[in-house]
Amino acid sequence: MSPPTTTEDYAARILRVLEYIQLHLDESLNPADLASIACFSPFHFHRVFRAMVGESVMGHVRRLRLERGAWKLKFSDQPILRIALDSGYETHEAFTRAFGARFECSPSRFRELHRRIDYPPAPSRVHYDSEGEVGSFVPLPSDAGGLEVEVVERPTRTIAFVHHQGPYDQVGEAWDQLMTWVAAEGLFAPDLEMLGLCHADPAITPADQVRYDACVTVDGDFQPSGRVGCKEIAGGEFARVEHVGPYEDLGETYDLLIGHWLPASGYEPAEPPCIEQYFNDPNDTPPEELSTDVYLRLRS
Amino acid sequence: MPATEKIDLVKLHREAYSARKKPFLLTVEPARYLAIEGRGEPGGDSFQSKVGALYAAAFTLKFTSKEAGRDYSVCKLEAVWWADGCEDGDLSGVPQAQWRWQLMIRTPDFIGEDELTAAAEKIRAKGKVDGIGGVHFELLEEGRCVQALHVGPYDRESETVAGMQAFAAEQGLVLFGRHHEIYLSDPRRVEPARLRTILRRPVRAA
Repeated sequence: MSPPTTTEDYAARILRVLEYIQLHLDESLNPADLASIACFSPFHFHRVFRAMVGESVMGHVRRLRLERGAWKLKFSDQPILRIALDSGYETHEAFTRAFGARFECSPSRFRELHRRIDYPPAPSRVHYDSEGEVGSFVPLPSDAGGLEVEVVERPTRTIAFVHHQGPYDQVGEAWDQLMTWVAAEGLFAPDLEMLGLCHADPAITPADQVRYDACVTVDGDFQPSGRVGCKEIAGGEFARVEHVGPYEDLGETYDLLIGHWLPASGYEPAEPPCIEQYFNDPNDTPPEELSTDVYLRLRS
Repeated sequence: MPATEKIDLVKLHREAYSARKKPFLLTVEPARYLAIEGRGEPGGDSFQSKVGALYAAAFTLKFTSKEAGRDYSVCKLEAVWWADGCEDGDLSGVPQAQWRWQLMIRTPDFIGEDELTAAAEKIRAKGKVDGIGGVHFELLEEGRCVQALHVGPYDRESETVAGMQAFAAEQGLVLFGRHHEIYLSDPRRVEPARLRTILRRPVRAA
């Protein structure tokens, strides 16, 4: 058995990404590649990164490119347009706007001023370094905010499902189809579980590419028909947390569970999807009373 | 074709579902329910099994109707309580094994016997739900009632009932008839101290 994964392990993996970013600011960095450097799925990576570094991964990349631009303004005689392009901006104006927002000064004025570079503070204290050194990265303290997480076993279950691709807030249409099918089949029963499988995290996925399955548990013996398909959700060990409130706020619970609880838990996440289990009909329940269990699959 | 408005019986009968801690008088219109009866301990196996049968019927009917173009909200679970020889609703001295109850979900008038028969047949064919044959329609006529919201565990309802009794007495009325509960909270998901339950009792002149 491998020793439990610790907060230090998670921090070390995020540090690997920070080092990679410092050395590859000229390349097109994308979240999926950066996630694989940290050995996370993109689903888990962006939340762990944001919790430990205090900004989104692409926000971090943008900031470092701006800081490098500031460094070049001071220590090179490259024209500003060239620096703007190297910093990831398509025009002088766009660069000037972004630069001004961060440094409270125009690039040309910044170049003229005879003082040392003071990078505006960042939560992680990691800044651009011309030698490509990350320096001392101290992850932000994790704060799971009193989140009550239970580690539980789920059995393997057969499900009937309707697939949805598109904005997360439009999954109701898949649910209508599925529930109509459940009614027509006479399958409403007290032990019927209503589950959602989120194959792509709505927080980092373009709305039209969000993939989601609306699912109900069934016995094995039924034939898929029309849009209703059949598959298994493998059992295993999961971290479970209850989310009370509107579905739009589920992202906050994922942030706490994956960004803050997971790194300190001693567990390693398994491949997504996460499972959501619903206990109310959102058509008949006020949003603030909606109760949802979120299951994060753990590696055993 | 314009979309038909989804029917919400709770919104259509606001006063009957008004949840106020302070007891108040109201006249309850006759109301039609899907219902199933039983006997014994609240929350016991028989009780849970019948809750399951009632919900199975209610949701099968709702989604069948929605598919046919008439959508409505499934209302909250309600129940009336009594015991043999104790019709007036004060069950405090009666052992739970002798309690009788009718579980009810308010249902629109356009859902009729034919729809219920078809739904029950589909559910029975799957064999996953016991006692579906016990689900039937019931018209409840309570008339003048005292109502109050009880917040907390079910076994502390007597405190709220005492307040309802005192309020009725001030009006020259007494509680009688079956004790009616409307479950606003899901007891599987809400801790006992936060459970919200509307209590209702018919009244008559003292």
